[in-house]
Amino acid sequence: MIKVALAGNPNVGKSVIFNALTGAKQKVGNWPGVTVEKKEGICEHRGKKMLIVDLPGIYSLSAVSIDEKIARDFILNEKPDVVVSIVDASNIERNLYLTLQLIEMEANVVVALNKMDLAKSKGYRIDARKLSAELGIPVVPMVAIRGEGIEELKNTIIHASHMQRKPVIRYSDGIERYIELLKSKVVENSILPEYPSRFVAIKLLEFDEEILSRAGIGEEVIKEWISSVS
Amino acid sequence: MDFVSELALARYEKIGEIVGRCVERVEKPKTFSDLVDTVVTDKYVGIPIFLSFMWAVFQFAYSVSAPFSDAIDVFFSACSDWAKSSIANPQLASLIGDGIFGGWGFVLVFLPPIAFVFVALAILEDTGYLPRAAFVMDRALTKVGLQGKSFIPMLLGFGCNLPAIMATRTIEDDTDRKITIMVNPLMSCSARLPVYVLFAGVFFEKVAGAVITSMYMLGIVLAAVMATLFRKFIFGGKPSPLLMEFPPYATPAPRSVLMSARNRTLVFLKKAATVLFIGALVMWFLTTYPWDATNGGELIENSYASAIGHAVEPLIRPFGLDWTAGVALVGGFLAKEIVVGTLGMIYGVGEEEVADVIPEHFTPASALALMIITLIYLPCLATLGILRQELGSWKWTAFVVAYELVLAFVVAWIAYGIAVGLGVA
Amino acid sequence: MRLHNLKPGTIAIVSDIVGNSALRKKLLGMGLTKGAKLRVVRNAPLKDPMEIEVRGYHLSLRKAEAENVIVEVKEE
Repeated sequence: MIKVALAGNPNVGKSVIFNALTGAKQKVGNWPGVTVEKKEGICEHRGKKMLIVDLPGIYSLSAVSIDEKIARDFILNEKPDVVVSIVDASNIERNLYLTLQLIEMEANVVVALNKMDLAKSKGYRIDARKLSAELGIPVVPMVAIRGEGIEELKNTIIHASHMQRKPVIRYSDGIERYIELLKSKVVENSILPEYPSRFVAIKLLEFDEEILSRAGIGEEVIKEWISSVS
Repeated sequence: MDFVSELALARYEKIGEIVGRCVERVEKPKTFSDLVDTVVTDKYVGIPIFLSFMWAVFQFAYSVSAPFSDAIDVFFSACSDWAKSSIANPQLASLIGDGIFGGWGFVLVFLPPIAFVFVALAILEDTGYLPRAAFVMDRALTKVGLQGKSFIPMLLGFGCNLPAIMATRTIEDDTDRKITIMVNPLMSCSARLPVYVLFAGVFFEKVAGAVITSMYMLGIVLAAVMATLFRKFIFGGKPSPLLMEFPPYATPAPRSVLMSARNRTLVFLKKAATVLFIGALVMWFLTTYPWDATNGGELIENSYASAIGHAVEPLIRPFGLDWTAGVALVGGFLAKEIVVGTLGMIYGVGEEEVADVIPEHFTPASALALMIITLIYLPCLATLGILRQELGSWKWTAFVVAYELVLAFVVAWIAYGIAVGLGVA
Repeated sequence: MRLHNLKPGTIAIVSDIVGNSALRKKLLGMGLTKGAKLRVVRNAPLKDPMEIEVRGYHLSLRKAEAENVIVEVKEE
């Protein structure tokens, strides 16, 4: 069974897409140990079975709040075959922030570009093909509430589960210098080898509490490494 | 170098580049949402509009659902009567009639208001109005340890605390949610009203209305006080950051609304209903046994429940209350609606004649104490079940019960003392 | 100049975000990064929270949170 996670900001239409994919075959419960709602369902398409897990709506994967922790842990530890990053096309800039973080995590990302109708009414014209080329991952334009794009999304998820595209999106040279530096330290010292090294490097740079404590490294060590470059 | 903001910046820079190449802005019209917001979050009209929406939700959920609840009540009463008349063995008849049908009826009567509350909530959520409501009310609520999104659950508590507590799922932050849940039972639900009406009517005739209103106000004030204390001493610190997006308004999709309501109602049915049903059976047992002594449940004063009432009496005697009040309060644990009916059963009169008998067992001061205890002392069994479910542990649920009991006695003691001191005894 | 002091209608550019790391990460994640342009839309009826428009969407935040956003005013 293909394990699929649905990620996205609150209000992007995640529930609508979840319901459209799973229909009545869904189960509502709680994430273990917390009172956050967990929704899971089955989607059958062209002879393939997909387990769809609805992650809590989050703005970023910094693991500061419980919702973010749940989402991040699920992606890192449960390793879903595909992560659908649901993006509200009418609010595309802020929504892509999460998508970039998912790409940093080297998840197998498919973008569901939802609310295309709303974007249009706000005066935006989005070229989904170009966006896909820029990001290096599939982008499916949708108006989920009208059912538009659902079939294409199902096809794309199945296709992506075979493809495993893991693009690297490079940021400005200035910051890439530091990311590369930390990445080499991560590889050298075998820091958290179970996670992608670029992801770990970025999180260490951000002084991410969870990654720091898992790796058993303090902020001072990172600061030392950084100053050794400049 | 501060990498947290540098990385955030780097990401947004990248996004800016990408978006610049893929997205074209044609025009920026003033959207419908902007126009609606101008009214709905307006300095003068914003709060009144919010209050009217809340009133509408309330009316919808509790008034519209009432006929359904009544129908369920009638149906199960009929089943109960049928069972009791058709089954030969009297104990079995009582078990099936009062225990099982009575128990199911009791649980399912909650279903319509809960379902309708969830429908109303889902509609509000889907339209995108909820963030605006939280925006308007946030300041008032953060001052007392709550936050903007607490308002709807607190308000729903005036109808019934069970769906109100389930409605706290819209609050993302765990601590904010817990505090809202823990003080919710202090919002005086509709089941407590008959107690106020009875006692205020008998002892405070001229000012009955004012007394009843002050019960509600007392609940609100206590909720504010307790929330502030919980925030300060147990959970520490401030409410989680607001940082809330205003999505554009949208027409709610019927399918989405119904599915959301259905899922949440099923959660209620699965968890709380089991607790409730078992509790109803237990109460049936306590009020009906020992079988011979109570003559099949008729003479409630000989039942185990009555024994509990007597056992409880020493605790409430300081307020001028006797064992009959004790039994009524024990019954109130099952459902606050039962308090008045239980008194009727004990005094051997119908519900309409209870008012005449009351002065023999109560004084104005002790009546006041009873009202206050009813307001505060315990969540009813149904609410207890949902507290356990939403708080996630028996530890926190026990804490809620404990603080409410203590608070009930403290406030009742103070009120009783003042009433006696003023010569109202 | 800090965000919480701005009046409705003001347009400003974010210079920096200060404060505890958890809040900073949240503010940054929501798009309040250096150079981001924002417009103050209104204050709530009880004066707090405030509503701003940034990166094409509307965000409401408490003045206590907005205090952590250092801005440069462009027009009032």
